[in-house]
Amino acid sequence: MTASRTAMLFCLVLIAGLLWPLPARSAPFLQCPPDTDGVDTDGDGIVDNDHVCLHIFAGDGFVNMADGRLMYMFGFGDANGVMAEHVMHHGMLGAEFPAPTISVREGQKVYLNLTNVGMMVRPDLFDPHTVHWHGFPQAAAIFDGVPDASISINMGGTLTYFYNVVEPGTFMYHCHVEATEHMQMGMLGNLYVLPKQDLLADGEDLNGFTHHSGYTYAYNDGDGSTRYDVDYPIQLAAFDPDFHDASWTVQPLPFAMMKDKYPMINGRGYPDTINTDPIANTYNGKFSQKVHSLIRATQGQKILLRISSLSTVDYFTVTVLGIPMKVVGTGARLLRGPDGKNLYYDTTSLTVGGGEAFDAILDTADVQPGTYFLYTTNLNFLSNNTEDFGGMMTEIIIE
Amino acid sequence: MTTNRSRRVAVMAVPVLALLALAPSVSAMVPETPGPPFNFTARAGHISTADGGSLLMWGYANGDGIMQYPGPNIVVTQGDLVTVVLTNQLPVPTSIVFPGQVEVAASGGTAGLLTQEAAPGETVTYTFTAAEAGTYHYHSGTRPDLQIEMGLVGAIVVRPQGAMGMHMAYPHMGAAFDREYLFLFTEIDPRIHDLVECGQMDEVDNADYFPVYWFINGRNAPDTMADNFAPWLPSQPYACMPMMHPGDRMLMRIISAGRDLHSFHTHGNNFTIIARDGRLLESAPGLGPDLAESNFTISVTPGGTADAIFTWTGEKLGWDIYGHQQDIDNEPLGDFPGPGDIDHNNDGIFDNVPMEDHEYAPDHGKPFPVVLPDVKDLTFGGMYSGSPFLGAMGFLPPGEGGMNPHAGFMYMWHSHLEKEMTNNDIFPGGLMTMPLVVPHHVEIMH
Repeated sequence: MTASRTAMLFCLVLIAGLLWPLPARSAPFLQCPPDTDGVDTDGDGIVDNDHVCLHIFAGDGFVNMADGRLMYMFGFGDANGVMAEHVMHHGMLGAEFPAPTISVREGQKVYLNLTNVGMMVRPDLFDPHTVHWHGFPQAAAIFDGVPDASISINMGGTLTYFYNVVEPGTFMYHCHVEATEHMQMGMLGNLYVLPKQDLLADGEDLNGFTHHSGYTYAYNDGDGSTRYDVDYPIQLAAFDPDFHDASWTVQPLPFAMMKDKYPMINGRGYPDTINTDPIANTYNGKFSQKVHSLIRATQGQKILLRISSLSTVDYFTVTVLGIPMKVVGTGARLLRGPDGKNLYYDTTSLTVGGGEAFDAILDTADVQPGTYFLYTTNLNFLSNNTEDFGGMMTEIIIE
Repeated sequence: MTTNRSRRVAVMAVPVLALLALAPSVSAMVPETPGPPFNFTARAGHISTADGGSLLMWGYANGDGIMQYPGPNIVVTQGDLVTVVLTNQLPVPTSIVFPGQVEVAASGGTAGLLTQEAAPGETVTYTFTAAEAGTYHYHSGTRPDLQIEMGLVGAIVVRPQGAMGMHMAYPHMGAAFDREYLFLFTEIDPRIHDLVECGQMDEVDNADYFPVYWFINGRNAPDTMADNFAPWLPSQPYACMPMMHPGDRMLMRIISAGRDLHSFHTHGNNFTIIARDGRLLESAPGLGPDLAESNFTISVTPGGTADAIFTWTGEKLGWDIYGHQQDIDNEPLGDFPGPGDIDHNNDGIFDNVPMEDHEYAPDHGKPFPVVLPDVKDLTFGGMYSGSPFLGAMGFLPPGEGGMNPHAGFMYMWHSHLEKEMTNNDIFPGGLMTMPLVVPHHVEIMH
């Protein structure tokens, strides 16, 4: 080939290279279809607002235990309102514990977008993630979040779950990919559904009980018996520091030797449970613990505790010293027999295994103002590892 | 020619009949052991753990067979006089107790703390009347902290009398079922088995108990999902692989046969707990389970049993789970609407896509609500059919899927203390199985 032809060839190749489209910066594909069915399904009288669009990310991050110890963790985090192009950067090392609380209404149609932002501390891991809505009635495998039976989302991708919400009650959600590992590492969150009975017209009669606007109920009880004034999600879980350290330092994970030493309510050990501010971690300053457990009520009010456990190792028994609990629901169902017999029961303690949920109403009518404690009667778990007076405990302040 | 063919048929009939004689009787969902009288031999053997290990066990063998874990199912009818003859071929004394049964008479052997015990080589006979229908269990009454751990435990099912016995857990319509499965939970600390195998039984320290294996019906996941009587698990004959059609009522017979609590969670739907410890949850006799509780996770205390009914139809999901086409107006030539045009869900639109059994009519024809990500963004499960629809297969990259040939929906049922979903430090495993819902046209072979 002549020199000029070589030069021309070289130029052509160069031009072709310059014209080759640069890789587009891909953004998570969020699906939030508008509600155009013309039907009001959530009972608020408006036909076009039944769709709920949620966006969470899944990745890794850090939290500090109540004794100060920094813990590497995996988790979900809030990406609602974050522009699609920014979610990967927003979610990087931004996981929250517990995961963002999901609270929706009966009759809504929920589009939950899950973006996998990868694990920055563990670039060797390429774990996908899922969301398992624990207790979703009549679930189909595709949206159930069990990776072996369906699909899970890889790093950089977004999967949109769809839930037609028909059952009110207290549920929970967590990742189900390598469940033992991802759950121990912290991919756990509160999830509950508010009943349509909340939206009845003012003055409506419920078998002798008169509903008024603003009244809230745990379930569609039909008689006002699950009415509450304030509600709090109370999620029990615990961390094994050796497991989290092994994950951080790329060591084999000690499944057989898993032993939890940081029992927590809503992702914190006492006294962090009563700190009403979001807590930032000391690794990168991101607010990774956003849910406190300080319960406040005025005397005479009814407090609904939405108690769930996503512990991977232990059962926990919890009690409220001084205020009896009336259990009105479990397994996201009203405690009522098949023929309508009320099966509510009064108790001073609830034993909660992993995956169990209870709705307990505390009636403060006969309770003196003061500070009460919601705590585990497994007294060894009133600790933050070797630090005494901590762990699975929070306060109820009656004014 | 005719003579040859009839000879060939006659020759074939013999092995077929032989197979039938060996086959488990009646309900393969809960395999039954011939009896009463039941002849059990307590003897040593080994089981396979799903991480590839093996453990020395002490268990009950049927007759002179090999030891099995758990012991042979005792399935009888309410009112039966049940006799269990125990021959002891262990190096230590042993016995059987029957929690929940009354007036158990024992003869032979030596008086132990709880019942008559058989010394090594001896035989003891136990007799009781199975007075109440329900789910129970039996286990060693001699040094039970060691012997139950070693495997001397088994299930008892007492069926109501008559024809309803095969389809009712208790004599009431509220306890009716279409399919039934056993869920017998145990756990194992292998150090105890190693000490026994090395002749150091007296060094077993139960205060130090630390299980690393968890079992349903004597198997770790994923062995739980193999067949009953899988030939490669000769000492662990019982599977836990529930299968059902939409709309079936599945009876879960849960037995907490170890020493730990397990919170057992069913994906897919809630179940209804109708009985505990062999008694219907009823406010007065004869009313049926009017105190039944719906839940998604059940705790059964060690030594206890529970019966629960699980059902699933996929209703109210807001999309057609069968992936039926949108309603279309089918205009056969000239006679619309004709016999093939039926308004399946009373919405005024005729379509030619029939409803499945137990399909939720208002969701018929509703489109799938989201766009699934590109295959490059997805990790596929081995039990994913490639399609979100029940009974439909879809595209899967090479090597993916393949374990769900009828495109059913599979749900993980497992201990929700996820540490118990491991096999001695290996995930996944343990107290877990994956029940399968198949479309109605798929026959379930038991």
